[in-house]
Amino acid sequence: MFLEQLHLRHFRNYEDQPIAFTAPKTILVGDNAQGKSNVLEAVELLATLRSHRGGRDRDLVQTDHSESIITARLRRLSGDTKLAMTLRNSGRRTVAINGETQKRQLDFLGVINAVQFSSLDLDLVRGGPGERRRWLDVLLVQLEPVYAHILQQYQTVLKQRNALLKQRRSHLTNPGTTAPIDPTQLALWDAQLATAGTRVIRRRARAIARLAPIAQQWHHNISGQQEILELRYASNVAVESAAQDDAGVIQQAFLHQIKEKAIAEQYQGTSLVGPHRDEIEFLINQTPARQYGSQGQQRTLVLALKLAELILIESVISEPPLLLLDDVLAELDLKRQNQLLETIQDRFQTLITATHLGAFDAQWVQSAQILTVKAGQLHQA
Amino acid sequence: MSRLIEQFQRLPGVGPKTAQRLALHILKRPEAEVQALAQALLDAKQQVGVCSRCFHLSAEPVCEICRNPGRDRSTICVVADSRDVIALEKTREYKGLYHVLGGLVSPMDGIGPEQLNISPLVRRVNQEKTEEVILAISPSVEGETTTLYIGQLLKPFTRVTRIAFGLPMGGDLEYADEVTLARAMEGRQELD
Ligand SMILES: Nc1ncnc2c1ncn2[C@@H]1O[C@H](COP(=O)(O)OP(=O)(O)OP(=O)(O)O)[C@@H](O)[C@H]1O
Ligand SMILES: [Mg+2]
Ligand SMILES: [Zn+2]
Repeated sequence: MFLEQLHLRHFRNYEDQPIAFTAPKTILVGDNAQGKSNVLEAVELLATLRSHRGGRDRDLVQTDHSESIITARLRRLSGDTKLAMTLRNSGRRTVAINGETQKRQLDFLGVINAVQFSSLDLDLVRGGPGERRRWLDVLLVQLEPVYAHILQQYQTVLKQRNALLKQRRSHLTNPGTTAPIDPTQLALWDAQLATAGTRVIRRRARAIARLAPIAQQWHHNISGQQEILELRYASNVAVESAAQDDAGVIQQAFLHQIKEKAIAEQYQGTSLVGPHRDEIEFLINQTPARQYGSQGQQRTLVLALKLAELILIESVISEPPLLLLDDVLAELDLKRQNQLLETIQDRFQTLITATHLGAFDAQWVQSAQILTVKAGQLHQA
Repeated sequence: MSRLIEQFQRLPGVGPKTAQRLALHILKRPEAEVQALAQALLDAKQQVGVCSRCFHLSAEPVCEICRNPGRDRSTICVVADSRDVIALEKTREYKGLYHVLGGLVSPMDGIGPEQLNISPLVRRVNQEKTEEVILAISPSVEGETTTLYIGQLLKPFTRVTRIAFGLPMGGDLEYADEVTLARAMEGRQELD
């Protein structure tokens, strides 16, 4: 797919900025805090409906304005598509495809696919399991947009069940003031948690199973045939790996584990079983990369993961996704830079931010479109 | 003027622009018309309560639907809200009675089965010898739990079916068009 045009109105520090992309690689170059990452963030929002920076929609809208509009024109194998997203200080969003407002935001997902790679992604290895779950979930939404709905349903059930467990706990500690909880109701929430959770678990297991061999191959190459990377999906609801795609087995194990943890859940007043406690393990030569990996190994790992994401998305949607490289390219040594650039070639449209062009290979800088960024204004260099 | 705009803005689905347009419109109308509107608002609030049998909005102790001798008394359609009764009535497809729960089970909002009109439903089903209870509740997470809960309570006494499929995912009955609703009503399924 190729993003031909992007237009930012009152978005972050952009007043009214049209951008035409004219080459497979575009480098946004400029000093700090000029608006380079903001451009990538706009594309990320169109692709995933969220920003990895988090925050509220009012932070995305230019200061002193009440709404922001991002529009884009995208070329895909299936034809040209126009996208529009309106963000408001009130938090209410509107999305439209080819001028038609979508009733469900979900229907907007999967039109633009993008892999985001920034220096923050080292947190994937170093951070807690929550970081890795979020990463996998964003990837899954790209592979299968309905996953956004599945995940949201699980999170709603989880919140409801937690609220009920909390009520039960306050009744147990303070029977006078609150009513007892109807066990029938709790059993229904258990069942719903297991059903919704099983959908999440099966999809996560499948994604890791497909991603792992690709990432392993890349890691092996980049590390000079030295290292074996393993990705392991350590679901909180443990089933044998052969049964990881069997909804019935997972659901059984889920309910069984809820029963086993009943007393602990009663005391803690919160759900202790389910994919909200999943972990994804990264092992290099059979040792956890988080504790034992060197800086260099961790960087190689993240690069291998990102390359694997690109290839996996491409094979699932039968079209190369966009690649958004925020600051990260300049941080890679020349060998890893070349590995990355060789892989993407001209196949994956790539938007790159950098403060200087000096760190890059002169030859491909020449073939790239260079845009200078200064105080929320873009200029073709 | 700003007081009026502010009041309008509190209404569901009314933003600042619409509120302003409504306020300007009111100011342009003759006084008698505005008086009639204000009176209608107050009357509705003071006179409309809920039906003692089905809990649908009603100015009388028993609502028009429950009083209508032409309706099929052997079926009760259970909905979350009076809005859903209105949406289903528009389809003209359904000829039985209703029962309005007054919400959905939602622990986050402090709503358990006790807060809903569920016990009166069980009593009704026993007293009125109901042959079929149709659960017409939106397929949200809360709707699903409510549906299953009522299903378990009523299954020993009567046939329980549900409509839900064909509705937009997580959708509201209110937003489903009449054709979708009518089709869902025809294709209802046994609750298992
Ligand atoms: N809602 C907003 N309204 C106006 N300006 C904003 C808003 N949000 C962010 N900015 C401005 O955007 C700029 C940051 O942009 P961005 O993150 O794209 O910088 P950058 O060019 O990527 O810098 P760096 O090289 O440090 O990563 C800052 O000047 C910030 O004040
Ligand atoms: Mg930046
Ligand atoms: Zn009635």
